Amino acid sequence: MSPEDVVLAILTASLVLYAVFGGADFGAGIWEFATALPGRERERRMLHRAIQPVWEANHVWLIFALVLLLTAFPAAFAAVCRALWAPLLLGLTGIVFRGAGFVLRPTTPSQRDSTDRPKGAHEPSAWEKLFALGSTAAPFFLGASVGAVASGKLPCGQDGQFYGNFVTGWITPLSFFTGVFTLSACAFVSAVFLTREAAMKTAAAEKHGDAPVDLRGDPLVRVWRRRALLTGHWAGSLAVAGLVLVAAESPPLWRGLLSRSWPLVLLSAGSAWLSLWATWKRRFTLASFGAIVAVGAIVCGWVAGQYPALVPPAITVVSAKAPDSVLWLVVWIAGAGATVLAPSLALLLWLFKAERRD
Amino acid sequence: MACMNCPTLAATLDMLAILCRASFDLSAIVVGQAGVASDSGVLAARLLMALTLAFHIVFASLGVGLPVLLLLAEWRYLRSRDELWKTLARRWSKAFAVLFAVGAVSGTVLSFELGMLWPEFVRRYGSVIGLPFTLEAFAFFLEAIFAGIYFYGWDRLRPWAHWWSGVPIALGGVASAWFVVAANAWMNVPQGFRVENGVVADADPIAAMLNPATGAQTVHMIVAAYLVTGFLVASYYALSRLRGKATAYGRRAMGLGLVLGCVLAPVQVGVGHWMAQVVARTQPVKLAAMEGQFQTQAGAPLRLGGVPDAEARVTRYAVEIPGGLSWLAYADTDAVVRGLDEFPRQDTPPVLIVHVSFQVMVLVGMFLVALAGWGLVPRAWRRAARTSRAWLWVVAAAGPLSVLGLEAGWIVTEVGRQPWIVQGHMRTAAAATGAPGVGWVLAAAAAIYAILAVGTIVVLRRLAAAPLAKDASDVP
Repeated sequence: MSPEDVVLAILTASLVLYAVFGGADFGAGIWEFATALPGRERERRMLHRAIQPVWEANHVWLIFALVLLLTAFPAAFAAVCRALWAPLLLGLTGIVFRGAGFVLRPTTPSQRDSTDRPKGAHEPSAWEKLFALGSTAAPFFLGASVGAVASGKLPCGQDGQFYGNFVTGWITPLSFFTGVFTLSACAFVSAVFLTREAAMKTAAAEKHGDAPVDLRGDPLVRVWRRRALLTGHWAGSLAVAGLVLVAAESPPLWRGLLSRSWPLVLLSAGSAWLSLWATWKRRFTLASFGAIVAVGAIVCGWVAGQYPALVPPAITVVSAKAPDSVLWLVVWIAGAGATVLAPSLALLLWLFKAERRD
Repeated sequence: MACMNCPTLAATLDMLAILCRASFDLSAIVVGQAGVASDSGVLAARLLMALTLAFHIVFASLGVGLPVLLLLAEWRYLRSRDELWKTLARRWSKAFAVLFAVGAVSGTVLSFELGMLWPEFVRRYGSVIGLPFTLEAFAFFLEAIFAGIYFYGWDRLRPWAHWWSGVPIALGGVASAWFVVAANAWMNVPQGFRVENGVVADADPIAAMLNPATGAQTVHMIVAAYLVTGFLVASYYALSRLRGKATAYGRRAMGLGLVLGCVLAPVQVGVGHWMAQVVARTQPVKLAAMEGQFQTQAGAPLRLGGVPDAEARVTRYAVEIPGGLSWLAYADTDAVVRGLDEFPRQDTPPVLIVHVSFQVMVLVGMFLVALAGWGLVPRAWRRAARTSRAWLWVVAAAGPLSVLGLEAGWIVTEVGRQPWIVQGHMRTAAAATGAPGVGWVLAAAAAIYAILAVGTIVVLRRLAAAPLAKDASDVP
């Protein structure tokens, strides 16, 4: 295997992990909109608790993918930075306001609600609104950036130059669609994860010998499960529409999907279906795995479908790659780093996300 | 006054006028056609980079320094089982969670800006200098993972296990700083590649990372990060005591900050000297600009203060110590120091900004060393801390001044390298993006960062105002 392919695989893996876990954190921020309604205080607290310990770590996958692109495919990085100038700026603004909004929001009820409000009603603070808006803007524009690349029409040279319009050059039907689809997928994955966590909490409360709790009756589980099913069907229908759009708008990618990526497309469809079925059957851990695989397979399917192009039509893996010695160095470092990162991440997830007996 | 007809000031105003005229031009944005960066676009990109770096460096420094203070406080709790130390550590960990997040988002902005503002730099040298950025991503990953565990694991981990979960944050912070500053050092003293027919060849990322400036520059920055953290913390509690809040909690908090700052302030003098010698050897132009040295001279004097006049090619109003610069740079009072005039005018940095920033940094350093000298005498320190309001005011000033010194130092490094982005190899203007409307982005970024700064201060004040008793059980 040539070194550029190995690095591309590592890059794709970090994109997958960002899409799934970073995406779930964005999704929680998107659901923040729904919790502004009266009587939703518990939901909001829960989604804040859920992302609190992990969102910073999940966010680093993006930075990781970025520096890999910089080191291993510098011409592609330069081209993307030029061609996607506008959507990346907007996505970045979303990332800033999501992070800042989350940590700067008022955290105790006394700071938040004035006493004259009806019980349970919640007027979101400015930072909470920015958190929700940022969580929505970031996946939309990052997704749209991916869509613009997938359209295969960015007029970039192999030297990383961009000959299109810096402000509007990224706008295609596929880029807009991918933005919307990314939003939907984030909301879906997040809802599935949150259903699982709500069910875990309920089960744990039961074990502690509190009053026996019925999973079906628990309002938190009910509301998140309903949302997971709803957004799951919505995102699934969009995915089918997306295939039609790819066929119409980006024939090279469509040919790649048919010739190379079709197992991944099938895997994604199957896992999405499994995830929905498991949610329906209240097997929420299985549903979470299904959602992870469904999203991951889409990212992999896109990368494999346009391979060997990186920024189609002009820039390919080979035309943009750094010298082989540098690429091998990156591979070795990524391998060595993984031996430290993987157990650390496992510890983080085990502490905060595993089903534990305490 | 010299300033009224100061040519550098006039040039700056000219540049600002260009910036306002062209880079904010809406029609350019609507049409959106661009290829080569205009002068105003380059200036806007530089100012945007400067703004975002100046903002981020404060949070990044706290990200390096605060974990050490947290570990110290928690360690003292674990050894003494004195609950007050635990309260201190828990309250600081909440503040650190906020600062860490703002630092992380502003750092993300920077990693994007590297490509978005300087695409040609990245394309040409990405494979040479991407390595430290990749390693930094790993180090930051470690920080972020264990930050989550440390901040929210107070009640999920056994006490010593929790303490150990903070150690990777401290180590990751130092490693991150080292890698990023190593990349910056390479821009000052590039090596690890050859240029063949205008194409970069034989990229050797390890040699690039371990360039002659890396050692001094990374250590200088890491020590600076600890200094800024220590003095900012001490400064906050000195102020609150000046307002009449004399508590055991505040005294311990201030003491912890002061220990970190006072121990390292004298160390920084030595490191700074090492740094200056490296600059003298590797970037003689930068040294000349720092010192306002226009003519090449044997036995060059050390200038304290002074205003360089780039037109008349002299530095006026400086207190000169004969032979001082030659001695400091080359350990010989008669050594020859090369002046700015030895280099082509288009290859020299704006001397006024570099010289004044350097003077500010050195002055701040001297102030901190004097403070440390006072603070490190234990008896005097203890008595003074109890009695003297003057001492408290000095400590209160040390925090903001140390930040000023940090920013001034970075201005010396960055402006002192101009007009190069990669010293001797690539001009800043050649690296800049041709995208339109960078001036608008700059304006928006300034507004956003102002909001972030205010929001962060408001939240930190709110955290500090919460009553102490609450934190014994409260989960952050």
